[in-house]
This record gives sequence, structure tokens and C-alpha cells, in this order.
Amino acid sequence: MNKGAELIRGAGLIKRFGGIVANDTVEFAVVEGDLVGLIGPNGSGKTTLINMLTGHLVPDGGRVVVRGREMRDQPAHVYAAMGVARTFQLTQLFGRMTVLENLLVPGLTRPRSKWQAVVRRARNTLDFLNLAHLEQLHAKNLSGGQQKLLELGRCLMLEPAILFLDEPFAGVHPHLRDELIKRIQELHEAGRTFVIVDHDMESILRVSQRLVVMARGAKIADGSPAEIRADQAVLAAYAGL
Amino acid sequence: MRGLHVYILLAAAALALVFADQLTSYWMHVAIIAMFYGILASSWSLLAGYAGLFSLGHMAFASIGGYASGLLVQWYGIPIPVGMAAGVALCCALGGLIGWVCLRMSGPYLAIFTLGFAEIVRITFATEDDITSGMAGLHVERLFDTPSRLPYFYTAFALLAVSLLLMGGIVRSRWGLFLRAIREDEQAASASGVAVARFRILVFAIASGFAGLAGGFYGHYLGILTPSLGGLDLMAVLVVMTVIGGIERLPTAVGGAFAVEFLLEVLRGDDQWRLPLFGIVLLLTMRFARNGLLTPVWLQFVRLGEARAAATMASRDVPQKDPGR
Amino acid sequence: MSWDYLFVQVANGAVIGVIYALIAVGVTLIFSILKIVNFAHGDLYMLGGYFAYYVITLLGMPPLAAMFVSMAALFAFAIVLERMLLTPLYDDATERKDEYGLIVTFGLAFFLRNIAVIAFGPFPLKPPSFIPGVQRVGGLIITNDRLFAGGVGIALILALLYFMHRTIWGQALDAVSQSRESAAIVGINARRFNSFAFGIGAALAAAAGALIAPIFSLAPDMGVLPNIHAFVIVILGGMGSVLGSILAGILLGEAETLFTAFFPDPTRALAYTNGFGLLILMIVLVFRPQGLFGRRHLRME
Repeated sequence: MNKGAELIRGAGLIKRFGGIVANDTVEFAVVEGDLVGLIGPNGSGKTTLINMLTGHLVPDGGRVVVRGREMRDQPAHVYAAMGVARTFQLTQLFGRMTVLENLLVPGLTRPRSKWQAVVRRARNTLDFLNLAHLEQLHAKNLSGGQQKLLELGRCLMLEPAILFLDEPFAGVHPHLRDELIKRIQELHEAGRTFVIVDHDMESILRVSQRLVVMARGAKIADGSPAEIRADQAVLAAYAGL
Repeated sequence: MRGLHVYILLAAAALALVFADQLTSYWMHVAIIAMFYGILASSWSLLAGYAGLFSLGHMAFASIGGYASGLLVQWYGIPIPVGMAAGVALCCALGGLIGWVCLRMSGPYLAIFTLGFAEIVRITFATEDDITSGMAGLHVERLFDTPSRLPYFYTAFALLAVSLLLMGGIVRSRWGLFLRAIREDEQAASASGVAVARFRILVFAIASGFAGLAGGFYGHYLGILTPSLGGLDLMAVLVVMTVIGGIERLPTAVGGAFAVEFLLEVLRGDDQWRLPLFGIVLLLTMRFARNGLLTPVWLQFVRLGEARAAATMASRDVPQKDPGR
Repeated sequence: MSWDYLFVQVANGAVIGVIYALIAVGVTLIFSILKIVNFAHGDLYMLGGYFAYYVITLLGMPPLAAMFVSMAALFAFAIVLERMLLTPLYDDATERKDEYGLIVTFGLAFFLRNIAVIAFGPFPLKPPSFIPGVQRVGGLIITNDRLFAGGVGIALILALLYFMHRTIWGQALDAVSQSRESAAIVGINARRFNSFAFGIGAALAAAAGALIAPIFSLAPDMGVLPNIHAFVIVILGGMGSVLGSILAGILLGEAETLFTAFFPDPTRALAYTNGFGLLILMIVLVFRPQGLFGRRHLRME
């Protein structure tokens, strides 16, 4: 898989909540073709980092650069329009809208998109995710795993360059989780870039080509899975759990 | 080819127009007021049912639209339609401003804020009586010179039809999906590329514009306006109407307005009991049929229509843009 | 403008403020424990006033006792209402709970206001004084009723604060109001608490209604403006902060009274006094929605 241009960069990102420093001068960059696993103990600031990189949180310090463009106080939808997609730790779907409508929303935000074409694309996406038979169901009636898949689908409708998945494997039935991993790998082969946060070490190691480790708001390691496994700082961080 | 239900509605509308002159003056007035509330209920449902913004200031905008038009016509002698248009424009602008101010408010905070706004408007109109004639009532030039109410009926009908067509267009378009997404989960909507702030301001502006339109018509119909038009009592009646009918769809909102207005007139004998009765109906509706009493009726109606349409032609690849709305 | 005039106005403002505080504290308690804004609170205040009136005139009870009876009655009534209307708030299946709370309490307010017109008639009623007579300040007057209302109001507030800090139930109330989650850990039955909180809020409002009735008399719509003022106060003081509501209540009462007393145009003064509070509300909501003491959340869930 060829590595390409830099897609997103967080430079010196700082975020404080009250007295707690959730992110302490974090440097984080992702290039085209990356498949990054973002790991670390609970409370290490992973979701905060993702929130800042996707426009859901304004950093207290540092900058976010997306495709060479510096993002200043832009709302999340601008990031989405630029191809930065994300899922949420606890799935956030449009519960009382149908599965199809959940995909139409992001699809129709694309500039110059035509309704019929978006519907076609949505249906193709549902096929890809094996959710086609659930098209007319309200999203809240889906199982947990199906909801995660739907959220992934919602990301795909944005025609994203990069997808941030926040705990996609949490609470998912093993069979569905394997499906999810397969889809991610297929999408990656096809050229999409991923950053995945999860605690399921087995799945993360299966999927990732690169691991970034955070602990207590700071990045403590960044490298291939083999390098990380041998990294003393990482072992210390996890042992101190 | 549209569903059968659309043709039924068109036929009913045509009948209403043709036989309007058979109504007594009294019932024609009731019908006109019902259509006035129909515009208000449907535009409020756009705000509250679709976008999830529970503004208690909707009647205040009707009031602003009415007073603006009435006063402009009085001071500058402009034609009434121009006055009404100016009222609508003012309400759009003001509504958008309120929407902007309320961007980071939600639920009860938004309700309280808009309640405060409505009260300030009402108090100002009541107190500055050199301009507005306060509680005595502002005399507004009537649209038509005749004593007959028929031309007002047709006007109200036209305004309601146009309003529903415009709002229906919005609701069936991608904007409708975006508004509903905003109500469902603002953060997810934003992550999906929906410009939440822009749409919140827009929907406030649009809904308030329609309220101003209704208010403008109201003033030029009755010939008189009082500050109580924007007051909490009428706003409460509007909420009752829309929620009982069904807050999430335009047809059910309008249906609720018609039904409650009609029943209010039928029950005029039990003057004092009418309102508490509707209060109870509202509470029961919220407790046991939160989607509104007319919603199941409407959905059945649409399904019947759709079944017929599907039977008469091959099913299409692409779904209709949500026919139930 | 004399010092006597100022003194009287400040005293009046304090009385109004104490009454406002009683009402607002109820709203804030209900908010922090049930997580809804009670749009019907002003009407509970109204009902409390009327109940005391009828207990006095029909049963011949002394006014102060009537106030306590009214508090008990509204406490019970509120619990009934809460059981009938608000239980969906505790059900996970209910969506958009803050919408539900909003519409239901709004509808309840509408219902109570209009049923009051039927039950009590539209004309103002005035119960007999708590303590007839007046106090003289220079050439000016303060009625004993006002002083009494202020005094009893302060006593009730102090009693509430004592209750919340010194008794088990009160401390539990305090705990749940600050954090539902931690309260559950400690083993407090949140459901029973919701009823209790709603009842307490109503009882305080009822007391306010009973205290104010001899001063300003009763009318079915007397709860509308105090309701709005309660919201102003609760937001100013911070939604969820009992202390904030008390301080902000007294502050608003003083500010309004002094505003009316010193506003240059007397014909407009009273009308704009109400607007003044609302303007404060709107400014606070825009610039500092958490108020003086509140927590920084704008959503319920």
C-alpha cells in the first residue's frame, strides 16, 4: 500500500477540562494509506484527540491541519465536508429515522449530489455492509453491532479520505466483529485511511499497520506493532494500570 | 403519479372552495380562523417537530407581522400586500436573529428564552400605546371593503395552500432530512456534514416568516390587533393544537389546528370548560399517544393511497421522497 | 426622594425577593432532581394561595396554620401529578425526555390556569391579613403582612437549608440534586426522590402563594409572571443551585422594586419592570448560561 500525502496533522494539541490536562502537547499526523491503531489506558485522552481532529472540540493550544489547510475554530461539518469522517464511542445514530435515511443525510451534504444518485450509493453501501434487508427499519431498532456497521456506513457516505473509528469493536458480537474487520481491511485496500481507537488489543493488532500509544494525555509511542510490543514505556504505562 | 390520498385531498380542497359561499358568515369566520391557525401550526411544527426547537415565541412573530403591516400601511399608505410582505421580511430577519442568539441553547432553555422574548414583545406593544394603541387595539385597514367574509376565506385558503406547498417542499427535500437529523442528534448531524448552525437559523427565519404572514393576514382581516395576539395564552392554544394533531408532520399539525378550532367553536356553550378540556386532551395525548392523535389516521390514509398507486404501476427503483410528510 | 422612601422600597424589595426565592428554589430542586423545567410551577403557587384562602374562609383556620395546611395539600397534589404524568421520564424507552417534560408541564400549566378560572372564578379574591395593621417609617407605611411574609419566608428558607444540610432525607436530596449517579451508588431510591422533590418544590410554592395572597390578592393567572420570574432567577443563580436561587431571587426582587420605584416614567414603570427581568434573563442566557453558581450544561441528558 503506497503511502501518500499527509491528510491530517495535529501539532502541539492541548486540551484542558477544569484542572485536568486531557491532551498535553500532542503531535499526531496521518498520511494517506495509513491504518493507525490509537491505543492507551482509559482516560489517556484518545477520544479527546479525535474530537479535536474532527472539529468537535476546540483545542486550547496547538493547531489542526487538514490536507494542508489550517483549521481555525471550524465546526465539525466543515471537517466532514473535507473528507474527515468519524464514529462515536457510543453510537450516535438518527434513531427515529430509517436506516436508509441515516445514510442519505451525509450523502446529501456532498456538494452537487443528486437525490437519486445518493440513494443508489446508499443502497450499495448497505449491500456492502450486509444491512440492505434492514433499509426501512428505524435505526434505533438495530442491534448494537448493526448500529456500529450503520455508523461506518454513514462515514462512507461522506466519501471520506480518512475515517476515525472510536471503539468500533466495543460490545460487538465476535462474528460481527470479524465482519467489521474484513470491511475495514477491504476499504483500506481500496485506498481509505483509518485511525482506530479501541481496547480490544487482539482486533487492533490484527488490523493496524501502525500503533500510536497514549497515556495520561501524552503520546508515548508511535511505530509498528512489533516496535510497540517491545517498547518499555508502553509496557510501563499498561502495567501501571 | 401521486398516491390516491393526494387526489382525495385536492378534491376536498376543490369542494371547499366551490361550496364556500354556502357557509354562514359565522362558520366562515371559524374556517378563516382555522386556516390562520393552520399556517401557524404547520410553521411551528417545522420549528419544533422537525428541527426540535421548542420556541414559545411563535405567536409573538405573528403579532410582530401584524403590527408591522398594520402600522406601515397606516403611516405610508402602501398597498396592503406590500405591508404584509414587509411584515414577513421583518419576521424572517428577526426570526433568524433569534435563531442565531439561541444557537447554543436547547430544550427548556430555548423555550424559556423565547418565552421571555414573547413577553417583552407583548409588554412593549401594550405599553407603547401612542404607537400601537396598546390594549385598546390598533385599527388596521382591512383587505377588502365588502362586509362579506368570502374574499377573506379565499385569501386565507390561498395563503394556507401556498404556505403548505412551500413548507412541504422544504420538508420533502434534503433540508427536511437535515432538520430531522438535527432534532435526532445534533452532534451526529454535524459529524455527517450538516451545517447545524446555518439550518437552525434558517428554520427559525422561515418559520417566523410564515408566522408573520399569518399575523399580517389576521390584522387586515379583523381590522384590529391587540398585544394579546402574541401572548402566552394563544401560544399555549397553538401548542395544544399542534401537539394534539401531531407535531412531527405538517398535515397532522394543520389537522390539529382545524380540529381544535372547530371543537372550540362547537363547545362555545361550555365556554369555561373548553380550555381545561383541551388541556386534559393534551396531557393524555402526551402521556399515551405522544406522536399525536391524528398521526395514525394520517399514516393509514397515506398507506391506502400508496397501496393504490403501487397497484397501478410497476414499483420503482427509487423510493418516493417520504410520502408521509 | 427621602431615606424613608428608599428604606421602604428596599424592605418591599426584600419581601418580594424572599417570595421569589421560595418559588425559584422549588424550580431549581425539580430541575436538578427530575431534570426538567417545571412550566407549571407558577400555577402550583397560585393553587397554594387559593387553597389557603379557602381553608381560612371555609374552615375558619388561622392564616398561618392555613399556610401549612396548604403546603401539605400541594405536596400531596404534586406527588399525585408526578405519578400520573412524569413517570415516563424514568423510562429508558422514552425519547427526548426534556421535550416531554417541557410539553407536559406546559400543558399542565395551561390546564391548571384554566380550571382555576372555573373553580375559583375570574375575580380577584383576598384572604384576611396575617397581622392587620401597619408599621410607620417616617411618613411612609409598610404593612405588617409584608413584614410577616418576609419573615416567614426567610424562616422557611432557613428551614429548608437546615433540612438539606442536617437531616438524612435532606442531605440525600442535596446529594441527588448534585449527582444522580453517585446517589444511586449510595443506595438512594431515585424514584421516590423524584416524587419527594416535586412535592417539596410544590410545597414551597404553595407557601409563597399563601404568604403573598393578603398583600396582592389572588387571581387565576397570578402564577404566570412569577413563573417567568422564577426562570429568570433560576438561570441567574444557576440551574440546580439552591443557594444561587435564593440569592438571585432576593437580588431580582430588590432590583425590580427599586427599578419601579425610581423609573422616571411612572406610567410605564410597572410594565417595564417585568420586561427588565426578562431582559436580564435573555442576556444571561446568551452570555453566561450557567448563571452565578450553576453547572455548565445546556442539555438535560
